[in-house]
Amino acid sequence: MTALTGERRSSQLGMSIRGWSGRGIAGVVLVVFVLFFAIPIIWLLIAVTKSSKGLILDNPFALGSWSEFAANWQQLFGFQDGAVTTWIGNSALYSIGALVLTLVVSIPAGYSLALTEFRLRRALLVLTLVVMLIPSTALVLPIFLELNTVGLIGTPLSVILPMSFFPFGVYLTYIYFSTSIPRDLLSAARIDGCTEIQVFTRVALPLATPVVALVAFFSFVQNWNNFFLPFVMLPSSDGYPIQVGLTSLLSATPAFNPSSAGSDSVQLPTLALATVVSILPVLIVFLFSQRFLVSGMTAGGTKE
Amino acid sequence: MTIAPPSDQLAVGAPERRRPARRTGRAPGRTPIGYVFVSLYAILALAFGIFPALYAVFLAFTNADGGFAGLGNFVQVVTDFRFWPAVLHVVAYLVIWLLALLIFVVLLALVVHALRVRWASTSLRFIYYLPGALAGASSVLLWLFVLDPIASPVSGLLRLFGFTSFVQVIQPGNLPVVFAIIAFWTGAGGWIVIMYGALNNISTEVMEAARIDGANAVQIALQIQLPLLRKWIAYMGVMSLAAGTQLFVEPQLLSQASNGVVPNDYSLNQLAYLYAFQQNDFNGAAAISLLLLVVALLLSWVFVSRGGLFEKE
Amino acid sequence: MVGIHTAVRSRRRSALIVSALGAATALLALTGCTSAASSANGSYGFPEAKQDNSSTITVWVDADRQAAAKAFEATHPETKIKVVTYDGSANGSNSFRTKMQLFDRAGSGWPDVVFSSQNNDAAWASQKNGGKQAFAAVMNKGLVPKDTLDNFTPGALNPCTIDGQVYCLRNDLAQAVLWYNKSLMDQFGYTVPTTWEDYQALGEKVATEHPGYIVGAAGDPWTPEVYMWASKCEANNITGPTSVTVKTDTTECKRAASMLDTLRTDKTVPLVSVFTPEFVKNYSGKVLMMPGPAWYAGAIFNNPQSLNVPAGQLGVAAPPAWKGDDKPATGNVGGGTWFISSHSKNLKASEQFVEFVTTADQYQVDKAPGYPAYAPAAAKWVAKQQSSNYYATSLDPIVTAASQVWAGWGYGLFSQEAIWAKTMTPAITGGQSIVSLLPTWQQAIENQAKVNGYKVN
Repeated sequence: MTALTGERRSSQLGMSIRGWSGRGIAGVVLVVFVLFFAIPIIWLLIAVTKSSKGLILDNPFALGSWSEFAANWQQLFGFQDGAVTTWIGNSALYSIGALVLTLVVSIPAGYSLALTEFRLRRALLVLTLVVMLIPSTALVLPIFLELNTVGLIGTPLSVILPMSFFPFGVYLTYIYFSTSIPRDLLSAARIDGCTEIQVFTRVALPLATPVVALVAFFSFVQNWNNFFLPFVMLPSSDGYPIQVGLTSLLSATPAFNPSSAGSDSVQLPTLALATVVSILPVLIVFLFSQRFLVSGMTAGGTKE
Repeated sequence: MTIAPPSDQLAVGAPERRRPARRTGRAPGRTPIGYVFVSLYAILALAFGIFPALYAVFLAFTNADGGFAGLGNFVQVVTDFRFWPAVLHVVAYLVIWLLALLIFVVLLALVVHALRVRWASTSLRFIYYLPGALAGASSVLLWLFVLDPIASPVSGLLRLFGFTSFVQVIQPGNLPVVFAIIAFWTGAGGWIVIMYGALNNISTEVMEAARIDGANAVQIALQIQLPLLRKWIAYMGVMSLAAGTQLFVEPQLLSQASNGVVPNDYSLNQLAYLYAFQQNDFNGAAAISLLLLVVALLLSWVFVSRGGLFEKE
Repeated sequence: MVGIHTAVRSRRRSALIVSALGAATALLALTGCTSAASSANGSYGFPEAKQDNSSTITVWVDADRQAAAKAFEATHPETKIKVVTYDGSANGSNSFRTKMQLFDRAGSGWPDVVFSSQNNDAAWASQKNGGKQAFAAVMNKGLVPKDTLDNFTPGALNPCTIDGQVYCLRNDLAQAVLWYNKSLMDQFGYTVPTTWEDYQALGEKVATEHPGYIVGAAGDPWTPEVYMWASKCEANNITGPTSVTVKTDTTECKRAASMLDTLRTDKTVPLVSVFTPEFVKNYSGKVLMMPGPAWYAGAIFNNPQSLNVPAGQLGVAAPPAWKGDDKPATGNVGGGTWFISSHSKNLKASEQFVEFVTTADQYQVDKAPGYPAYAPAAAKWVAKQQSSNYYATSLDPIVTAASQVWAGWGYGLFSQEAIWAKTMTPAITGGQSIVSLLPTWQQAIENQAKVNGYKVN
């Protein structure tokens, strides 16, 4: 114990790397990458406060004005009579719906693939991996035909159901359960008289909070950002999620669609604002799930 | 309650032993419960994964009327004038992207993990993750400006490389690097979060023991942390390989941003998309997709077998 | 390694599963079959669905054309329409064709009326698709009154006409004219050129006398449509639904290419796109002349976010001609088209809608941003623009140019703009001359045409 605290006191820069050269390099790496990731985002946030000409001519980091921001806001939310709000609502519906279904489906599946034995286990793992590697272009048409046969095209389910097939999440759960939950724990529970379902719900699931959060998070983000599936399944603009709606917005922006030019068409800073608005929910979800992601799957049985 | 450390902890420093699955207590899971838990997923997998995949295979070997076409679609696709350039593009991109991802994500995760200051660690991971929220159409505008030496926030950097206009930045020779940068920018954050979590899983006692023994940071990283991350790195490798061969979003969005100067048939996946939705040739599209799948499978086999992805500890 | 053996075993198991599923897949394949509709031609020259003249029609428009739908609703409240907005197939998204092909496979779901911002959709919409009925309704066999069709500006319906049948109505024209800054021209003492030779000479003069000023821009994807098309370069001569003639080594192509090369070296026609920050930053106030489509007025000149040319400076002249050409020719950059679905259950309402949005004053004159393709509406539209007192000259050259679009450049399934952008622009940026790139351009067009099913030459 004393060795630990002694160690902590000695790392003044808050790092557990000893030696100045080590810390120096680590520091440089951190700073370089912070700049790399953050500069475009900062630019984007500043861009929403500018006018189109200001975006082109002013210094990229110069702030615009409040009135220009308000004008961009007006233009964005007035576009097609408030279509943007509808689109965001649709995105939320699809993403959350698919999220719930994904969790219900993926967590037990990952658990059983990792910690139980059944004959098709390997087959399912291999098939899942193979399917994950198939480009979605090839899968879209069959899925479209399938859903058309059951008459779901154009309904939210046509988007929610395919989205809840989330092999990435199943794999995450599988890896987590197979590396972090000791089998002895489960065996102990079985010896204590738990049924298999109780083993899952009372022992494995509580320990799996981090991976549940992780899968929920990635599922939500992937569904929120999914363009191709809703594009194919939803013919009507009322049902568009924000990603597909953004293409409508793009097509009304002269820089990307010159024939729509005119001084009342969508301006570039409005597009920037649309971008910011479309990613806000993802960021909020990320902030909330930070707590679980931070605990980082330590619940698998370490002493800390 | 006392809990034995996870099985992979015991393997530290010693050649990896694989413990048989059933040693204590009665054999778990030889009851049908495994089937029950996996049933919902199996249904979805069948409906939205396996059936469509089989249909795609069916499409690849038939022609538009439904008649058997043998290898006809594959020949047509492979002799398409856009095919081999697309292959080269994807290979160039994949090499740069995979290397950058594997090296930098692990490096960053290790460095961030070494930070003891909680708020710094959290906010760093947030910053690294932020770009991942920007996908597809959202970032067309962003890259149109960031890559334009006239209006970019990093215009100094671009001019340092000798670029004075947007068209110069997107010259064909630069594209693999540009796409790798964009893909890294959006994709690295998520993996850093996952790797960070996996690193947290490693008992600090083991790390302390090594430190007391005199190991420095690099040695700890190489000999303790990396081996324990093997499965995660393998997973990241496989997923990134799949994502890389299926390069689509980055060239598509730059194609839109540049009004076509970056072609919309740059990558194989884009070519499949064009076949399906511009030439109405779903059979050709399926053929390309199958080729992509085979290549991705072959390559990912390397990661799966060397990373022990399917082994149970 | 144990890993391999178990994987092999599992692959064998997978094979069993696969073959079992194969049978199920065969079932799935059959769901792609559609029930055949009657294939006999109706009274309008195409197989009709069962008509119901009171049903609501579904109309697909893009954001800018929503105003057209609203104008229709205001004028014809008795006809019920459902408006769906989509991206208008802009920006190379091809969504119009994509969605219709999906509906073809499903056998249902087509909208009744569709607006496309591209004008090459008739090339596929007029053809049968994998045995399925062609999407576009034939308009000139009685569906649309002959008088209406005849009143479109001559040549406006060329993109819509395949094998003598008209499959769509043109929304607006984008004829290329010669824009110029009258104040600057007067100030420098230049006269507006009437031939391309004079234009080139003027460009060279400007390079020495007033460096920094430009007389055109050649960095956009539609550069060939402005310069090559006007020079009657036979790079895109669509001769039939599946045939095209491509010859870029002719005098016509070479003269335009060499002119552009000379002026680019002079820096008076730079390789810059007019919608980039570079253009606005470097050339605001420096645009002496600009050959370009009619919509440049609102897009670039009279736009506070772009050049922001003050009122009274912008003039327009007839597009230059090449010496020795008897018939003046110009190019065209855009315009949109309206389609009626051949599967529509309410052709009457659909036709009423399409006729309204292309010809009615309430939209085309009052609200439309572009030069109407319907000649009577165009005359009124031009008068309205003129009365805004923004232009320094008469707008008559635009009207004259409208019917001078050269018919030898067609509208095929493949995009000429895309070919130029991806093949020529990077190569020119890399330092090659357009003249030396003409064979490359030829090859690129041929390749693209062939993968789209065209027979070349």
